[in-house]
Amino acid sequence: MSQQLLDVIIPGLVVGSIYGLVGMAFAIVYKATQVVNFAIGEVMMLVAYIAFTIQSAYALDFGPLLLVTIGVSVAAGLLIELLVVRPIQGQSLFTIVMSTIGLAIVIRSLVAIIWGVLPQPISLPATSHYVPVAGVGLSLAQIYTVIAFVVACILVGILFRYTRMGLHMRATASSEKTAQLIGINIRRVQTVAWVASTIVAGIAGVMIATIYNLGPDLYAFGLKSFPATILGGLDAVIGSAIGGVVIGVVENITGRFLGSTSKEIVGLLVIVFVLMVRPTGLFGQRKVSRP
Amino acid sequence: MTDQTSGVAKGRSHLLVIITLAALVALAALPWLVNSYLLLMATSVLIWIVGLLGLNLISGNAGLISLGYSGFLAVGAYANAILQIDLGLPAILAIPAAGVVAAILGLLIGIPSLRLTGLYLAITTLAFAVILNSLIVEGGDLTRGSEGIGVPDLSIAGISFNSSFRFYYVCLVVAAFFVFVTRNLERSWFGRSLMALREYETAAVVSGIAATRLKLTTFVISSFYIGVSGALFAHFIRYLNVDNFSTHIGIEALAMIIAGGLGSFMGSILGVVFLTGLSEVLRTFISASDGFLAGIMSTGAVEIRGLIYGLGIILFLRWEPSGLLGLWRRATSRLSSGRSSSEGAT
Repeated sequence: MSQQLLDVIIPGLVVGSIYGLVGMAFAIVYKATQVVNFAIGEVMMLVAYIAFTIQSAYALDFGPLLLVTIGVSVAAGLLIELLVVRPIQGQSLFTIVMSTIGLAIVIRSLVAIIWGVLPQPISLPATSHYVPVAGVGLSLAQIYTVIAFVVACILVGILFRYTRMGLHMRATASSEKTAQLIGINIRRVQTVAWVASTIVAGIAGVMIATIYNLGPDLYAFGLKSFPATILGGLDAVIGSAIGGVVIGVVENITGRFLGSTSKEIVGLLVIVFVLMVRPTGLFGQRKVSRP
Repeated sequence: MTDQTSGVAKGRSHLLVIITLAALVALAALPWLVNSYLLLMATSVLIWIVGLLGLNLISGNAGLISLGYSGFLAVGAYANAILQIDLGLPAILAIPAAGVVAAILGLLIGIPSLRLTGLYLAITTLAFAVILNSLIVEGGDLTRGSEGIGVPDLSIAGISFNSSFRFYYVCLVVAAFFVFVTRNLERSWFGRSLMALREYETAAVVSGIAATRLKLTTFVISSFYIGVSGALFAHFIRYLNVDNFSTHIGIEALAMIIAGGLGSFMGSILGVVFLTGLSEVLRTFISASDGFLAGIMSTGAVEIRGLIYGLGIILFLRWEPSGLLGLWRRATSRLSSGRSSSEGAT
């Protein structure tokens, strides 16, 4: 492969890992509860802000920062599930999805009120070393992102395929009523799904902040990751991860050859194309509605 | 018994006619009664109402979330300005034509999204709003890029409606027209079918409603409304720039119809009056108080607004899903049922 192509593809894989993480976060909640959480981008921004506030207060290194991120994510996921989602459980999809949209702008506003509208400085010297990978210089933060992505894929894959909770989640996804009838605690399934999704999103948020910056527009990565989960399939968790990588590479290639505006919108055009050609995405399951 | 109820209904509809007429007279007299700031606010509310009526058709009556409000608003505004400047169309033609342009775009977005059930419209409309903003910046000679575009003065049939005083009446007439049309739409076969579709799609389809076509029609109509609202908005702000059409607007619009009441034209009106009123009251309250709150306010007027609208969505859906209109209906039905039960006792 020519070096020119590698220069485009490898950074694409890094961005794609971020899209993949966020796409997975979308898909986990969708798979277990049929809800698209429109606040994912905002949630990961909030987690990133809190995690970095703690990090700078104690001058933590990257490893402890990740642990803090997971802790903050668990707390945020539980809180959101408890305060916003659970009270309206069992209501129409419209109500639940709209509530996540409301939550999104509440978080956006809160972050701007608390931390201000200017990007926050981050001091994490260990992640800014550059390492050549196949002739392309990548920062350690970028390499960590890819590693986090692969690890998350494996863990989430194991969660869904090999654990009892994963089985319960898949059962709840295919029929909430039947799952309840055979004794599955669907409330707990929902909680686990929201928390797992928030952890994945939170890690993505911290990685985005490390690579780019910690600003109040970090939430935009939520929308940018929609194409990943639409391409992979809203109900396909690993599919969404793969979708993210594809979108990341495609974006970088179009950006190189067609200019930066096309880079911004190519993912969104992918959404429209996928919905016209194969609305379930590459790995999603077709659903049949019965009365 | 039947005579009695129809008599009550007749009495009620007479009352409604009287209330409507009184409201129209009050609205017509408004410019003489308030200061120029409040007049601008009232004009903005009227412009909002036109678009919200449309949004409420697709999101309230049909129950499909659309996040593309800002996109259709921008299309209407830019189409109106461009048609008047570049093609020399008179405003009286350009404003409805702007609505038609928005409607055509609605058709194009609706076709891939509405064949599918559930949430896809929310995703595609959000994508549309974001893409459109990029296109406006990259639009070159058509949209004048990030430089923006000056909107010609509004004149209809040789009469200038440029002053905020006269422009208010233009908006009032347009808004009243759209309210009237929407009220009738909601009570027609069309409105009832939408309601059936929202409540139980499979049953509605089985009883002969062409679901996809009905949703698509609704979405196109809704886009037309928002496009016309955008055309008026262009004359209101007089200078178009991509910053006027942030995707935030789409969420604010949804907050308004949720707070007012989904699926009813009255809900759209109540919602915009309530939420703009509330933000205004809070704004004056906070800027009047000094110290901590005023400090937040000076840095974050937009954020306070976002907080109000976001919490509005969450709290109304949780505690009062039928909005202010539901509260009002419950209050009046309690009053009238109280009266009829006492009548029954005598």
